[in-house]
Amino acid sequence: MPRISYSSTPNLVLRLPMWRSRLVLFLIFIGFISLVLRAIWVQGFDNSFYEEKGNKATLRTIEMPASRGKILDRNGEVLATSLLAKAIIAFPEAIPENIEKNKIVELARLLEMSESEIRKKLASEKNQVFLKRQVDLEIAKKIKDLGIPGIAQNSEYKRLYPEGEAMAHVVGFTNVEDRGQEGMELAREKDLAGQPGRRRVIQDRLGRYVEGLGIINPPKDGADLQLSIDSKVQYLAFNEIKAIVEKHQAKAAGVVVLDVQTGEVLALANWPTYNPNTRVGLTGEKLRNRVLTDTFEPGSTVKPFSVAIALEKGLIQPNTQMQIGKKVVIGKKAITDTKSYDTLTVAEIIQKSSNIGTAKIAMQLSAQDMWEMFQSVGLGQAPTIGFPGAVAGRLRPHKNWVPIDQATMSYGYGLSASLFQIARAYTIFARDGELVPATMYKSDVKPKGTQVISAKTAIQMREMLETVTQTGGTAINAQTLGYRVGGKTGTSHKVEGKGYSTDKYRGFFVGLAPMSAPRIVVAVMVDEPRVGGYYGGVVAAPAFSNIVAGTLRGMSVLPDAAIKQMVNKDTPIPLSDSTQKVSLSR
Amino acid sequence: MNRSTIILLIILMLCSLSLVAAQQKTRSLYVALERAQTEERRLNQEWLRLEYEQRNLSKSSRITDIARKQLQMQPINPGRTQYVVVD
Repeated sequence: MPRISYSSTPNLVLRLPMWRSRLVLFLIFIGFISLVLRAIWVQGFDNSFYEEKGNKATLRTIEMPASRGKILDRNGEVLATSLLAKAIIAFPEAIPENIEKNKIVELARLLEMSESEIRKKLASEKNQVFLKRQVDLEIAKKIKDLGIPGIAQNSEYKRLYPEGEAMAHVVGFTNVEDRGQEGMELAREKDLAGQPGRRRVIQDRLGRYVEGLGIINPPKDGADLQLSIDSKVQYLAFNEIKAIVEKHQAKAAGVVVLDVQTGEVLALANWPTYNPNTRVGLTGEKLRNRVLTDTFEPGSTVKPFSVAIALEKGLIQPNTQMQIGKKVVIGKKAITDTKSYDTLTVAEIIQKSSNIGTAKIAMQLSAQDMWEMFQSVGLGQAPTIGFPGAVAGRLRPHKNWVPIDQATMSYGYGLSASLFQIARAYTIFARDGELVPATMYKSDVKPKGTQVISAKTAIQMREMLETVTQTGGTAINAQTLGYRVGGKTGTSHKVEGKGYSTDKYRGFFVGLAPMSAPRIVVAVMVDEPRVGGYYGGVVAAPAFSNIVAGTLRGMSVLPDAAIKQMVNKDTPIPLSDSTQKVSLSR
Repeated sequence: MNRSTIILLIILMLCSLSLVAAQQKTRSLYVALERAQTEERRLNQEWLRLEYEQRNLSKSSRITDIARKQLQMQPINPGRTQYVVVD
């Protein structure tokens, strides 16, 4: 075979047509051009698809948590606060069949649930189930340590109420979604609730947020809310009504304490009540804020208003003698007293709570004057205190009154009011004739009241109210060690069916203290006391006395009554009398 | 290529490198900021929890209970109180 060197290959001399190489070159050129066009298209015009792909891998929109505002008392003590908690969630499908039994038992123990309950939830057909919500962080950590697959945790807030049932009706409570359901939590939901925010971040391979791309909407924490309630006074008042209900086996009781200088509500308590932390066994009976939402015929507690307007009109004087007798007949109805008197002065009519005397005074008044008096102290109008469910009570227009209406209304039948309305009305006696607007929120400005009666009449009424608590009055039990007190008892038959019940009563006491310069009004209501008496002077006055003593001491009010000194006089500070004036350098 | 082009090229390279370094630094600082903010939230929560605990320990019902039962104390009354007026 002849060897042919490369240089003499016959192929080399073969000339190919020029157009072939041109064509290849052209095709390559077209290829590059299309690549460039595609690149421009993808990067410049139709870039959303790939951008989205890229973003999906790194961009995250995350929630920025906001917390619900706290509720505080007037001294800044916490009444309601939100703490972080965990929701324990199970994904039934992800839980292995052969899970160790002791792990389930332990889980049940930690969640305070029965094992069968847990197993039932785990057998659920659903994709995911809540095993329990609002679990404490410590317990949640122990559950995490159990390491059961298919059990996850979610952060959420748990609302806690340190004062528990004593403050339940004022503060109210929230549901598991952290939304207000009752009380202040409901009334001020808009301010208390936080608004979670959102922001965009870039997340790296390790799950860290490496770059912030800005906040879409900033989180807004709920505002704290400061109430006028003093938790010490509230505790005291709550304990007193609780004790009354036990002692007299009453159906219910309520109390309200007002600061007469500022119109602030210092305490507002009801029994029966509930624990807002657990919220178990809630019934309407327990949930009801009786002080604000229950209206009743206020009985003798309105007598001072009937007498005050007659004094104001100059129809009577405190020492005017009135014929009383056994009964007085107006229209077809006879009005009687529990004890009969021949004559009483106007002051004694209040002191002894004579229905006949009050009715006789009222009959000298025009219906319009009496109606205006009741109206101007706030009866028949819902108090504007920004609280859900505060009711107006009933006060019929005076044009519809017949004489017997006027007579019975003068001693508190035929009209209705809430305990709160009655307490507020009494501020006219405490404030030299001014009615003060009541508030549930702490305020530093002294509110402007409306003058209802003259200061002179208010002072005269105060003197009469003080005699009620002195010998011969209906409420000796209201006397308070160290302080001069005054007030008015009330005992009313409850309405049952079409008439009045003969054996179901409400007992009240509404009073003010100290009489030398009133600082507080306290109103106590006892519903259906069953044992140990039912008169307001018996069931409600002792609680009034205890509440006044504790509250005034807490407010550092000096005693204005004579007290037997038992202080050891050998103390280093020399004593001239029980009160010592000293200057402290500050 | 003349000399100025080479110098500009080097400057361009340095700028690009420092941009990368700055980006890296931003990210690590951002991670640190994130951590600090998480810590802040945790401490805030802790503070709320402690505040709640303090309230629970100092509430009237508990103090009354301990004073009466454990310490055998009695409520004060005005007769056994020496009142001092601060001018």
